[in-house]
Amino acid sequence: MKKILFVLVMASMLLAACGGSGQVSSNEKVTLRFWTHTNNAFNAGYDALITAYQTEHPNVTITRESFEYDLYLQTLQTAMPAGEEADIIQLFGTWTSQYFERLAPVPAEVMSVEKAKELFYAAPVGGFIVNGALYGFPQEFNCEYGGVLVNKTMFLAAGVTYPPQWKTMDDVVADGRKLVQKDASGMMSVAGFHFTSADPIAFSFLAGIKQRGGDYWNTDHTGFTFNTPQAKAQLEWMVNAVQSGIIDPMIFNDATNPVIDAFFTNKAAIGYIGAWAIAEGKTNFPDFTDEWDYIYLPPIQGKPVFVADSGWGLTVSPNSKNQNVAWDFIKFATTDPKNALSWNLASGTIPAMPEVAKSAEIAAQEPWVAKALDILPDGEYLGNMPDRDLVMYEIIYPRILEAMQGVSSVNDALATIDTEANSTFK
Amino acid sequence: MNLRRKKEKRSKGGLTIAKRRFVLGITIPLLLYESLGIFVIGWAFVLMFYKYSSGRLGGPILGLGGTNPFVGIDNFIEMFSGKSVEANLFRVSLKNTLIFALAVLPLNLMITLPLAYLLESIGERFKAFYRTIYFLPVLTSSVGVALIWLSMYDPQAGWINAIIRLFGGTPVSWLSDPRAGFAGVSVAMWAVILAYLWQDYGYNMVIFIAALQCVPQELKDTAMIDGANRWQTFTKITVPLIRPTMLFVCVMTMLSSFQVFDIIQVMTNGDPGNQTQVLMLDIYKNAFRYQQLGWAAAESFILFLLVMGVTIFQMRLLRTEWEY
Amino acid sequence: MATRAVSNSSLNPVRKIHQSPFFESRLFFYLALTIGLVFTLLPFLMMIISSLKTNTEVLRVPPTFLPKNPTFSNYITIFNDPKLPLLRFYANSAFVAVFNVTATLFTSALIGYMFAKYQFPGKRILFGWFLTLMMIPSHITMIPSYLILAKLGLINSLWGLVIFSAVDAFGIFMLRQFCETLPNELLDAARIDGASEWQIFIRIVLPQLSAPLATLGILGFMGNWNAYLWPMIVLQKVEVRTLPIILTWYNSTHTGQGALVMAATVLITLPILLVLVYFQRWIVKGFVTTGLK
Repeated sequence: MKKILFVLVMASMLLAACGGSGQVSSNEKVTLRFWTHTNNAFNAGYDALITAYQTEHPNVTITRESFEYDLYLQTLQTAMPAGEEADIIQLFGTWTSQYFERLAPVPAEVMSVEKAKELFYAAPVGGFIVNGALYGFPQEFNCEYGGVLVNKTMFLAAGVTYPPQWKTMDDVVADGRKLVQKDASGMMSVAGFHFTSADPIAFSFLAGIKQRGGDYWNTDHTGFTFNTPQAKAQLEWMVNAVQSGIIDPMIFNDATNPVIDAFFTNKAAIGYIGAWAIAEGKTNFPDFTDEWDYIYLPPIQGKPVFVADSGWGLTVSPNSKNQNVAWDFIKFATTDPKNALSWNLASGTIPAMPEVAKSAEIAAQEPWVAKALDILPDGEYLGNMPDRDLVMYEIIYPRILEAMQGVSSVNDALATIDTEANSTFK
Repeated sequence: MNLRRKKEKRSKGGLTIAKRRFVLGITIPLLLYESLGIFVIGWAFVLMFYKYSSGRLGGPILGLGGTNPFVGIDNFIEMFSGKSVEANLFRVSLKNTLIFALAVLPLNLMITLPLAYLLESIGERFKAFYRTIYFLPVLTSSVGVALIWLSMYDPQAGWINAIIRLFGGTPVSWLSDPRAGFAGVSVAMWAVILAYLWQDYGYNMVIFIAALQCVPQELKDTAMIDGANRWQTFTKITVPLIRPTMLFVCVMTMLSSFQVFDIIQVMTNGDPGNQTQVLMLDIYKNAFRYQQLGWAAAESFILFLLVMGVTIFQMRLLRTEWEY
Repeated sequence: MATRAVSNSSLNPVRKIHQSPFFESRLFFYLALTIGLVFTLLPFLMMIISSLKTNTEVLRVPPTFLPKNPTFSNYITIFNDPKLPLLRFYANSAFVAVFNVTATLFTSALIGYMFAKYQFPGKRILFGWFLTLMMIPSHITMIPSYLILAKLGLINSLWGLVIFSAVDAFGIFMLRQFCETLPNELLDAARIDGASEWQIFIRIVLPQLSAPLATLGILGFMGNWNAYLWPMIVLQKVEVRTLPIILTWYNSTHTGQGALVMAATVLITLPILLVLVYFQRWIVKGFVTTGLK
C-alpha cells in the first residue's frame, strides 16, 4: 500500500513538473468564459475560432455568451465590481480607457506594445493602449467614415451617372438631390443622401475638421476644442447640404429610419454607414432585391484624413484564474493571420491587421475593403475620451442634428458641443 | 398535552403568552427583513453625496471613498446651477416631468369622469362589455403599448398620418420633429401623452364607476323630481359626493405620471432632442448607461421629494375630508 | 326607470316631454361610449392586422389597412426561432408573478391581521414605519438594491429579482383595515375552543379576507407580470428574462421588421390579456368594496 502511494506521489510530482507553470499544453482541464455582444455575424466567427482552438487544445473548453449592445455596458459594470465577469471579454477599443483599472494588461511575453503597433493599423490598436500599456488585441478596423451604400437601381431609374464619378462632396450632394422622392403629401419618401444617423454625423464632422487642417483635441489631449473655424466651416457645409433638400432630418435620423433600415427598405438612395452594416442589412432584409454597391466618398478637402474608433477586440479580466490560457486563445484568434482572416470574413469587418487587409481572400470576398486600403493608413485613433458614447451620441450627434433641423444655429450648436464635451473631463 | 391543560393555561391570563409568541413570530422576521430595507434606503441617501461610478474601484467600504470621492452637496449645487451636460439634462428632465404630469392630470379627468358617468347611466346590458374593453389597455404591458403606438406614429407608414392624409391634412413627424409644438409643448410630448392616456384612462374610469355606484339613487331621483336636469344633478349632487374619490384619483394620477418610465423609454427614449426625457428616464440613464450612480441617486432624491410632497398633501386633504 | 316615468307623468304632465330627451340622451351616451370604444380598440386592431402582413407591406407608403395576402408567416418565424423560447419566458414571468403575489398576499394578510387584532408595545411605531415606507417610491431604492444584488451575486437570478418585494406596505394597510372589521367574538370563540393563534389565522381569518385578497392578488399579478424597470436592471441574461423585456429586446434586434415585431407583441401581450380580462371583475368589485378610502 505504501509503495503504491509513494509511486503515486512521485508520479504526480513528475507530472506537475512536466506541466510547468502556465504551459497551455498541460493536462489540467481549463474552462474559460467568453463574453461578446450580440452580432450574429461576429459571433459565428468566434464560434469557428473556438472550435478550432479546442481541437488543438482538448483540455480547454471555452463557453461563449452574448449580450445585446445596449445592455452589454451595463452587464460589464455590474459584473466587474462583483468580480463576476468572464475570463475573455470582447471590448470596444475606445472603451478601454474607462475600464482599464478592471482589465489585465497584456503580459510582455505575449506581445510588447511596440510589436502590437507594428502589427496592427494605428486606429484599431490605439484605443487598447492606455498610459503606455496594452490591454487587448483589436480585430476590426471600425471605419465609420467615408463609405456609402449606393442603390444602383435607383441611380439608373433617375438617370444619374452610375457608377458615380464623384470628385468632390458637392458632386455627391448634387446627385443626392436628383435621387430624392416625395409622396403625394410632400413628405419625403426616399432620401437622396442619408447621412443623418449618429455615426455618420459624428464621424464626417470630425473627419471634416481634420481635413480642413484643424483638430478637435487640445495639445495635450486634456480637453476638446470644438469652437474652431474649421469646425464651423464643416458644420455649415453639413447644414447647407441638408437644407438643399437631399434629406429630411425630421424623419430620417438615428431614431427614425436609421441608415441601414432605410437603405435596405428602399427609402434611401445613398446611405452613409460603416461597412459592417452590409452583413447586417443582408441578414435582416432578405427581401431587398435592388442592385447595390459600397463605395468611398471623396474628402471634403485635401487628403482623406479621418478618425476612427478602436473597434471590437478581445481583453482579459484580472480576476480570471487562467489568464495565460486566455491570452493564448486571444493571440491565436487575433494575431495569427489565418485565424484573423477567418473572423473578418465571417463578420464582414475590415481587418485590423494590414497583412490580412491586403490579402487576396479579402479582396475577393469583401471588395469594399480593397477600395478602403488606400485610406486606411490615414485613419487616426479617435483619442481616449472620459466617456466616448456620451460625447459622440449624446453631445455631438444631437446638437448637430438640431442645427440641421433648424432648431439651433450653427454657432450655438458648436458652442454647446464645446461646453458640454469639455464638461466630461471633470 | 391534553385539551384541559391547554384551556387552563389560556384562561389563567396565559392568553397573552400564545398571542405574544404569535406576534413575536411575525415581528422578528419582519424586523430582520425590514432592516435590509433600512440599509438599502440608508445607502441611497448616502450615495447621493458621493461621486460614485461602478467602473471605478473606489474605497474599501461599499466602494465609497477613494476614486469615488465624497462631494457633499456638490451634486445638488451642480444640478440646479451648473452648466455641464448632466445638469442641463437634469433641469430639462425635471421640466418635462412637470409638464407631463400637469398635462396628463386634467386630460385624464376630462376623459375618465364623463366616460364613467356615461357608462353608469346606460342600461345593465352592455355595461360590463364596455367596461371590459375600456380596461383592456390597462392590462396590457407598457412595452406592448409603446410598440403599438410607435408603429401608429410612424411618419410615413403609420395609421395616424394615414388618417390625417385621408382628411387632407399635412402629416406630422410625431416622434421625431423637434420643431413642431402645440401650446408650447412639443409634438413628441403630446404624442407620448396621448399613448399614456390611452393606456391609463381605463383605470380611473373603473374607480369612478365604483364611486358613482355608491351615490344613492334616491338622491338623484329626488333631484330629478324637484326639477333638476341631468347636468344639475351631476354637478350639485353627484360631484360633491364623490369628492374624496376625485381627490384620490387626482393624487394617484399625479404620482404615477411623475414616475412614468416604461412607455417613454420604449417609445422615444427621451428623443427628439430630450423633449420627452423625464426624470425617471434620466435617473436610469445616468445610473445604468453612464455609471454616474451618485448623481443618479441625487436625482432620485429630488424625485422623491416631489412624490413625498404630493403624498403628504394628499394625506392632509384626505384627513380633512374624512373629518368633514 | 319605470317609477320615474310614472311619477313624472302623474305629477306633472310637462315632465312627459323629458322622456324623449332621455331616450335621445341615452342614444347620445351610447354613441359617445362607442366612439371611445373604437378609439380604445383601434391600436389593438392595428397590432393584430399588422402581424398578418409581411414586413415590406407594413412599410408601404401609403399604408394599407387590411393585409393584401394575410399570412401567418411571422408567427411561424417566431415559433421556429431558437433564440425565442416563448414558453421559457412565460415560465419566468409566471414564476415572478406567482411568487411575488403569494408572498405579498400572505405577508400582507398576516401582518395586517396582527396590527388589527393584537396589542403590543411599539405597535404604533412599527405601523408608522410602514406608513412611511408606503410613501417612499421604489425608485429611490432601485440603485442601492441593485448594488447589493451585485455584491451578493444575485444579478441574473429570478430570486434576486423577487427578494425585495416580499412585503408590501400598501397591502398591509389595506388588509389591516379589513381585519379591523372582523368581530373579536369570532376569534375569542375559536381561542376558547382550543385553536392556536396560527390556526385562527389560517382557518378563520383568511377565508374572510377573500375579497380584498382577490383584488390585491389580481392587481399584484398584473403589476408583476408587466413589470419592466426592475427586471430590466436585474435580469441581463436572455434566458432568465421576463416577457416585457424580451419584447423590447426582440424589437431592438429586429429593427425594420415591423410586422414580425407586431406578431411578437401579439404573442406576448394577448394571452395574458385574455386571462386578466376574465379576472378583472374582481378588481372592480375590489374597488367598490374597499370604498376607495
